[in-house]
Amino acid sequence: MTHSVTYLGFIPLLPLAGALVVGLMYLATCQGKQISEKIYGILGCVGPVLSFFMAVKVFFALLALPAEERFLTHKAFTWFAVGDLHVDMGFLADPLSSLMLLFVTFVGSLIHIYSIGYMAGDKRFGKFFSYLNLFLGSMLILVLGDGPVVMFVGWEGVGLCSYLLISFWSEDRENVVAGNKAFIVNRIGDLGFVLGMAFLFWGIGAGGFDYLSLKANAHQLTAPVGVIVCLLLFVGATGKSAQIPLYVWLPDAMAGPTPVSALIHAATMVTAGVYMVARFSFIYAQVPAAGEVVAWIGILTALLAAIFGMFQNDIKKILAYSTVSQLGYMFAGVGVAAYSAGIFHVFTHAFFKALLFLGAGSVIIALHHQQDIWKMGGLRAKMPITYWTMLIGGLALAGCPPFSGFISKDEILYSALANGHVMIWMIGVLVAGMTAYYTFRMIFIVFHGNPRDQEAYDHAHESPKVMTVPLVILAIGSFFAGSANIPAIFGGHQRVSHWLAPSLVEHHPHASVGLEILAIGASIIAFVIGISIAYRKFTVAVEEPEYQGLQKFAYHKFYVDELYHKVIVVPYQFVGKAITRVIEPYVTDAPVQASGWLYRMFGLAFKVVQVGYVRIYAVYMVIGLSILSLLISRSLNF
Amino acid sequence: MVSHYLSLSIILFCLGILGVVSRRNVFIVFMSIELMLNAANLGFVALSRLHVNMDGHVLALMVMAVAAAEAALALAVIILLHKHKGNLDTNIFSLLKG
Repeated sequence: MTHSVTYLGFIPLLPLAGALVVGLMYLATCQGKQISEKIYGILGCVGPVLSFFMAVKVFFALLALPAEERFLTHKAFTWFAVGDLHVDMGFLADPLSSLMLLFVTFVGSLIHIYSIGYMAGDKRFGKFFSYLNLFLGSMLILVLGDGPVVMFVGWEGVGLCSYLLISFWSEDRENVVAGNKAFIVNRIGDLGFVLGMAFLFWGIGAGGFDYLSLKANAHQLTAPVGVIVCLLLFVGATGKSAQIPLYVWLPDAMAGPTPVSALIHAATMVTAGVYMVARFSFIYAQVPAAGEVVAWIGILTALLAAIFGMFQNDIKKILAYSTVSQLGYMFAGVGVAAYSAGIFHVFTHAFFKALLFLGAGSVIIALHHQQDIWKMGGLRAKMPITYWTMLIGGLALAGCPPFSGFISKDEILYSALANGHVMIWMIGVLVAGMTAYYTFRMIFIVFHGNPRDQEAYDHAHESPKVMTVPLVILAIGSFFAGSANIPAIFGGHQRVSHWLAPSLVEHHPHASVGLEILAIGASIIAFVIGISIAYRKFTVAVEEPEYQGLQKFAYHKFYVDELYHKVIVVPYQFVGKAITRVIEPYVTDAPVQASGWLYRMFGLAFKVVQVGYVRIYAVYMVIGLSILSLLISRSLNF
Repeated sequence: MVSHYLSLSIILFCLGILGVVSRRNVFIVFMSIELMLNAANLGFVALSRLHVNMDGHVLALMVMAVAAAEAALALAVIILLHKHKGNLDTNIFSLLKG
């Protein structure tokens, strides 16, 4: 039983319309007199904010329905129909997508508002807001789409916008390279998605290619096809959500303006992969082996990124690796079939990661685009709001009880343990400790101790209200978001898990109080150890260390980028050059050139006839007509 | 008797062709074309006489009408050509040369 509501279509449409209007205004005026930033700011924020209110409306509309009927649909138009494949531009709001909608539009709106302050004075202010709106609109299509094909539209849209925004300051070659890298790496993942979709269609597409039909037909999927579909879709997810081996683009994506990083890391883009796996939980639930692969890749990514995060010097890079690491947790969650736990971590992560990025942006602006943490220090006194909000975000990220990050991360770790994945759980606890360490390494170095760069410190000041108010709102969110899903052991009702239940296919493990206490205890111990090491090392006056041996290896990120360059990029370039230098001129172009040469030779032969004098043409005509007359008279037997 | 007229017609027509082919002044070429048209007219009238019916006369009248219209057009074209190049030598207009 589904209900059709028209306003569903407006949710992605509003930011897209905003993108169009702002973009056209910018295009029309970028050569001459500029439109004031206020107008751009208001127009840019209207779409996301209205979308947020509609998302709230959708949420309450779903809430009013009985649990198993919580499906709102809207079919805008038939996109194409070929044979068995019938694709509508349709939207589906069920508990899963409505939860995603809520925080995507909420965090997205706050980032839009914050950008007014962060981008102030940039000469391409309007362009920035146009791209930002397009980004959010694409993400909403991705989330709301009622089938894999519509999801793919949004999927490609966010890929495009990430490219546009990462290389937004395109004067710098480095930024352009980072944008290209993000785009190309994402394309590799997209190929997996497309192939996965094709196999899915081949398997069970004949009965309809939207989620509800696919879910109903999922039992017809044979095991080998199911495994292939799951793994290929996961390849897509590794690209978009930055997992091994395609995580390399995300840290480089820091080249973009900080609000973009916040948007990519918190609300849009990287959460798409987790959402997609949860969306296809009806397939993943049938092939636990594929889930196992997902979980292992996830937890290993979490470990690897945490190791890299411990040795970074750039404040945004630290946060970037923390995102990769947290995404690893989410995949570990959905991989061990705890889909609601994974999605809940996406939800809480959106708040505290947006908060941390926006806080980092506030610091960066205050220090005039200084991003090296070893040039900061003691900023606590100068920027109290930024400090306190970032501290809350840091505690949430590090998994300090009772902050939101603790509750959601613990849910994942407990599910791993309860579903029998002890190794994954142990690595997860280790990563939790490392997370606490690198998060507070960053916070202690930036905000505590003595200023390392006295001049920059003297000029530092708290950011304007348009930037700090979103920080405060997000800090409140980061603290309380966890309360939506307090586990039973603390007297909670796990509201989010129950809310998501109709959208997902998951089997809750039998609750075991002993295991749960073990999981929670281990997490807390890991957190305490991590933070105390960071406290011991970084609250004293400490300068940038010289890394040696293994530490240096980690500082250089295990030379993975260099390895990819040597193993993939260089041979690829070699092949490309070989093709342009050998195959193209001698194999493909040669016959084409030869045929052209042949025609030219023919032309040369006939060219002499074309003298260009009217008289001579008259002679030709007379000769031609004479011959014709002769032939006619001959045939008439005169 | 009629054969003389036909002979004259053929001679005039050939003269016209010769004029078109050999002369370079656009005016002379144009006059040669007129000559050919009138040679054809003479042939029509002579054959009309031979066959004792009026079709040839009608055709001759029509050719004259067409020739008059063609003269008006051709003279306009010649004026434009002269404006364009300042000269009426047909060899100048050789854009079609391969």
